[in-house]
Amino acid sequence: MVLASCPLYFIAVCVIGVIHGFSWGLNTYATQLFFDSVASAVSTKSGLTMVYISLAVLGTVTIGSQVLNGVHNFMVNSLSNRMPGHLGKYIHQKAARVEPVLYESPDLLDDINKAQQGAINSLVLLVVIVSLFTFYLPYFAFMAWYLYRLKPVLVISLVFIFIPVMITQLIRGAVHARLEDESAPLRREVDYYLRCICDREYFKETRLLGAYRFFKELYLTALKAMHQKKWTVELKTNLLELGMKMLTLAGYFGVLYLLFAALMNGEISIGSFAAVFASIELMFNIMEEIISSHIGRLTQNLGTVRNFIRFLDLPERSGSMERVSFTDGIKFTNVCFSYPGAEKNAVEQINLTIKPGETIAIVGENGAGKSTLVKLLMGLYLPTEGTVEIGGVDSRELSLNSVYQGITGVFQKYQRYQLTLKENVEISDLKAQDQARLSAAAAKADLELCPETFPQGFETMLSREFDGVDLSGGQWQRVALARGFYRVHDLIVLDEPTAAIDPLEETRIYEKFAELSQDKTAVIVTHRLGSAKIADRIVVMDQGRIVEVGTHEQLIQERGKYAQMYQAQAQWYVS
Amino acid sequence: MQIEARRYGFADLIRLPLQAAPAAAVLVGLNAVLAGIVPTIQVLVTADFIDTALGILQGSLERSQIYSSLFAIILLIAYSWVTGALANLTNVKLNLGLEKNYQTAVMDKRARLQYQHIENPETWDLIQRVTSQPEAQLASGYNLLISLTAGILRIGGILGILIAEVWWAALVILSFSIPLFALAVKSGRASYQASKETAKLRRKSNYLATILTSRETVDERTLFGYSDYINELWHERYETARKIEHQVQKKWFIRTKAGGVITALISVLIVLVLLNPVFTGSLSVGLFMSLVGAAFNLVQMMSWGLSRSVDQLARYREYLKDLTEFAGLDESESGQVMPAGTAPQFRTLEFRNVSFKYPGTEKYVLRNLSFRMEAGRHYAFVGVNGSGKTTITKLIAGLYENFTGEILLNGRSIRSYHPSELKAMLSIVYQDFAKYYISVKDNIALGAVNRINRYEDWEITQALNQVGLAAAVNKLPQGINTPLGKIKPDGQDISGGEWQRIAMARAIINPAPLRILDEPTAALDPISESELYQEFERISCGKTTIFISHRLGSTKLADEIFVIGSGRVLEQGTHQELMALNGIYAQMYESQRSWYS
Repeated sequence: MVLASCPLYFIAVCVIGVIHGFSWGLNTYATQLFFDSVASAVSTKSGLTMVYISLAVLGTVTIGSQVLNGVHNFMVNSLSNRMPGHLGKYIHQKAARVEPVLYESPDLLDDINKAQQGAINSLVLLVVIVSLFTFYLPYFAFMAWYLYRLKPVLVISLVFIFIPVMITQLIRGAVHARLEDESAPLRREVDYYLRCICDREYFKETRLLGAYRFFKELYLTALKAMHQKKWTVELKTNLLELGMKMLTLAGYFGVLYLLFAALMNGEISIGSFAAVFASIELMFNIMEEIISSHIGRLTQNLGTVRNFIRFLDLPERSGSMERVSFTDGIKFTNVCFSYPGAEKNAVEQINLTIKPGETIAIVGENGAGKSTLVKLLMGLYLPTEGTVEIGGVDSRELSLNSVYQGITGVFQKYQRYQLTLKENVEISDLKAQDQARLSAAAAKADLELCPETFPQGFETMLSREFDGVDLSGGQWQRVALARGFYRVHDLIVLDEPTAAIDPLEETRIYEKFAELSQDKTAVIVTHRLGSAKIADRIVVMDQGRIVEVGTHEQLIQERGKYAQMYQAQAQWYVS
Repeated sequence: MQIEARRYGFADLIRLPLQAAPAAAVLVGLNAVLAGIVPTIQVLVTADFIDTALGILQGSLERSQIYSSLFAIILLIAYSWVTGALANLTNVKLNLGLEKNYQTAVMDKRARLQYQHIENPETWDLIQRVTSQPEAQLASGYNLLISLTAGILRIGGILGILIAEVWWAALVILSFSIPLFALAVKSGRASYQASKETAKLRRKSNYLATILTSRETVDERTLFGYSDYINELWHERYETARKIEHQVQKKWFIRTKAGGVITALISVLIVLVLLNPVFTGSLSVGLFMSLVGAAFNLVQMMSWGLSRSVDQLARYREYLKDLTEFAGLDESESGQVMPAGTAPQFRTLEFRNVSFKYPGTEKYVLRNLSFRMEAGRHYAFVGVNGSGKTTITKLIAGLYENFTGEILLNGRSIRSYHPSELKAMLSIVYQDFAKYYISVKDNIALGAVNRINRYEDWEITQALNQVGLAAAVNKLPQGINTPLGKIKPDGQDISGGEWQRIAMARAIINPAPLRILDEPTAALDPISESELYQEFERISCGKTTIFISHRLGSTKLADEIFVIGSGRVLEQGTHQELMALNGIYAQMYESQRSWYS
């Protein structure tokens, strides 16, 4: 994927990485040459030119490797900034095709939420692997060659450096992760009690109740427990690390001894000794950098990479049929539906036919399955059993492009997009941006463009955060309605969007809606039974099942669930 | 410790840690100082070692003489390795100490803030900035200053040796390096500014990404099929931000590496300057080599370290500025007091020509509002959304004091009451009531926080019974002691409706004589709301209640109804009187009733 998006850049990064790796090794070599030339110049009192030449080489190599270091890091950095752009686009496309119902499943939701992070981490993984091979490997290869040339046995020093550092870091990582897991719940508690005192969500009530001291005590107790745990964790891991460091230190001394012995026996020059001595620390640091920061982070992040991969595997709508017309309406046959992970069906044994041009009201108590039914009839959810036919075609067979064609809706939890007013309305049908339709939709929704509320008309940004305006609940309501009307539709669904508005407004909206949906198929979900009267047919739901269907008069006469609920509501308004 | 209102400067990055965790802060500092000195000693020891080795090779010294300097080298290496691990531990201790004292002090300050700062977006942003992980911010600030000191010591040490050996060399080097570094520091500030600007662009593109992937938007996203279009928009914004950042980073890298190159050049300069003394013998070969090694080691450290430190210093200056502003925010006495022990008597509540606008806004929410309430009666506020109903309750609760006109409680100005008296006077259940993730029992007992630990189980059960929640709570694994929410490992989730009833139970157990329900039932259907209000009124017999709703059915039973509109009382009276008046109330009521006739 990386290669596909910017191949040249990627190759350039690799090449520079290799040169960069070599340059560091070369640096040690140049240092040795320089020291040797100085030592010999001092002892023989001649060869000054050699000193200057080798100083020039050393200077050039140092500066060169600094520049390479900058360029390489910059390029890796810029590559890692470029990639989320490509990956993000890809993830968003995938998110658009994922079955909507999967967002209701707590397990999968985790995958979806972490996919972004996982994508970035898989990128980090790639960068680490690439730099392991293009930078660190050449560096160590060069050093190995260099040391071997000096004295073959010195190559062992690389092993001395490598093994203890690796063991330390791996053990540290494992122990730390395990202990971290144990203190995490305590940390959550501390943070939570802090929120109970300080967060907006709780501030007002905690203050009025005078519960500050109560929560402070909880906070201090949890904090103390967490600190105890944390301190034990840190003490353990650090002492462990100290022990392992002692081992590494022994390795260090071993190398030092080898060097020293070689120096004393005259096998290596004093210049090589000083150069190697100076580079040992560098090698340790680099090794620690690889293992602790790169590989350590890698193992930590592997989890989210898995989330990412699972996300890519989530099922998508696979139907391929195109729906041509809506003339056949919608037909439910023995439909059952359960949410992922739920034991009980949310709706059960639904049989219902909605004819084109009909207005249907769905009523029932909270949790009766009204919203689920609506999502099934719009094709957002596919039935677990039975079939929903939209325009004569099974909703499972319909392609993603055509399934929602001609269907619009205003949801109970409609979105308040932090975009301009125009975008907020047109978002329901962005392919056809049409000024006339925009104004018409706004008019239908009674959305007045008074300059007080919308200083820049349709271009007003509806978000305080992005330097725009804040709207009231009622105004948002109208924006959501305009959004619903803007989309070209044969079927419109209104899912109880009136919960937060006052009675006058509510009455107006339902009347308006009835008027606008006269030649369309319309479905209203409502808890206010009175407003269901405008419907041609009323569907009464109870515990996931359809219990009654009929006109208002019929249902009242039947004296069933509907009549009972209607009476209960009406009594509040009969004086 | 306490967050005092004063100006905070860089010195506070040292002072505050010393206050919060003195021992750890001193140890961390000491260790850093030593870490700055050790390299200088290392240069001397290495020089001694090389000179001795050379002497042995040339035959002028005995082989046994090398061991003392070899031992010194080993000792130094061992020292820096061991202290590395110990430094980690002292830093952890420092963090814990800061968390315990500084974070708690910040929390205390937040709890004392006037309520207006919580609702005002600007001060709220400030509060968020200052208080997100305050201990980590302070600890890293402290470490930054300490490591800067260590870096200066390290450079100073090497310069010191130079001065001791060839004094004029040090002068030559200083005169070259100071202007060069000044340049690097200056450009550091510019890049900090630039990176602040891209933050906004980033926020915008991140918002679009949320639309494209979040659970809340999935229904509309799928139905309206806007993903492709928004995705393009996102990518465009992402790229714009990235390109700007790319430029900023390019400058940053160039500057950083320019620092490295400069240091490399200075190192070469050092070598050139030292060559002559080496040849004339006034500088030993060993010292020469170890000095050169140390100088070149500095290159890497300086190139990354200096740029980072400069960037971070700019960041901390912002933080300290924010901290100064935060510490200066007005406080309210109400923050930390409990309700008064004995519930006071409630006789009357009167608003006289009260006008009010939220601080920082221009629009009056209440205009010359007047009404009067008496003990033992049931009142209702009705009115459309945004008419100011909730604002009235905030004023009664004393959350805002910058109103004009008078609010009289028992005939006395509400301003003259001590917060603890006010708290004991009333209980309010708000629309956005708090869902505390603690046990059922504590959740309810919080209603009378004075005796929170002295509640008998039967009292809680009685309250649960009254709100019709007893059966549901009995089914929970640990009954009324079950923790709610996902904070405790065995916490249980309950439904929104059940939370509402918990909030009601909390109000019931509250001994305050005045009870206010501010639409905690908005998510319920009108019937359930009406029934709940009716039930609550029955339970509150003998108390004074105020119900707030935009739906009329539930308020019909009140002894007196106030119709609020544009911040005033438009109509008032019983349901019958208001209907007879044939005004706004009657119109609203008719519009709802029309559905049922």
